[in-house]
Amino acid sequence: MAEITDGVTPAATAGVLTEEQAFRLIAYLTSSAEISLHEPTYYGSLRLIDAASRLIGFMLEHDLPTAEPFLRELKAELDTKKVWSMWDREAYYDFVREVPAEVAAEMMRRESEAQS
Amino acid sequence: MSDAAVPDVIFDVIKRRRVTRSYLPEPVDDALLAQLVAAARWASNASNRHIHKFLITRDPHRIGMIRSFAPGLLAEPPALIVILTDEGARARERLQEGDTADFIDVGTAAQNMMVMAQALGLGTCPVTSFSKTGVATVLELPEGLIPELMLMVGHPKPVDRGLRANAPKPLQVRDLTYWEVPGVHDPA
Repeated sequence: MAEITDGVTPAATAGVLTEEQAFRLIAYLTSSAEISLHEPTYYGSLRLIDAASRLIGFMLEHDLPTAEPFLRELKAELDTKKVWSMWDREAYYDFVREVPAEVAAEMMRRESEAQS
Repeated sequence: MSDAAVPDVIFDVIKRRRVTRSYLPEPVDDALLAQLVAAARWASNASNRHIHKFLITRDPHRIGMIRSFAPGLLAEPPALIVILTDEGARARERLQEGDTADFIDVGTAAQNMMVMAQALGLGTCPVTSFSKTGVATVLELPEGLIPELMLMVGHPKPVDRGLRANAPKPLQVRDLTYWEVPGVHDPA
């Protein structure tokens, strides 16, 4: 059933994954947990960044009335910079330290917008 | 081409090969995929025992499913070549636990395919970061066929790697080479 919204606050169903997409993400996360038992420790960080990218990819296949531009840009950044872990590890580490702040800033902006 | 030019051509192909993690959606011709496996067949192989098989898949849905169990598959290529250990052949050859030669054979086969692909204008990426049990289930492998390495294959999509200007420079051959004794980087 379609959710009634006020036109500003996104519906609770916006960007919700299908069961198939959720299963793919569950498969990815459990497989990452398995291979993290023997892979280099910093790969765990790479897997989480890639998981975020995959989650956003699935969300972008659905209607995202307010979050789409930020998430599309974030996914492009994640996909470009995650592979730095293979060529320029220090740059990758810097990126990993910076990206939560990017997400936090967007969350704060959204919260402020919703309250105004 | 003269015989004298062959080493330069081979070395050029080896040097230009890079791991490809972005692919164009167009499919790879079956004949080219078969040629890659032919190159693998002629790879150096311990005791000529050939305990590996090569499974080619081009099904986008199946590749998508495999990707869910393969964190190392950072793209969805149009084709995958999966190197499998045939446990039956392994037993026939009386290989013991801990024998690393069979894994070296996986590497030589993969390298031959990657160099061949480069010569054919294709991009590749070897992947070992995956759940063997998860991938085996998606591939519907019978007991006794173990996925060891997956090679992504496709037409490369040019990408900007976005590297910093001061990113580390490629390794130099000299730094990796010892002449006669460790620590001596130049021939006497």
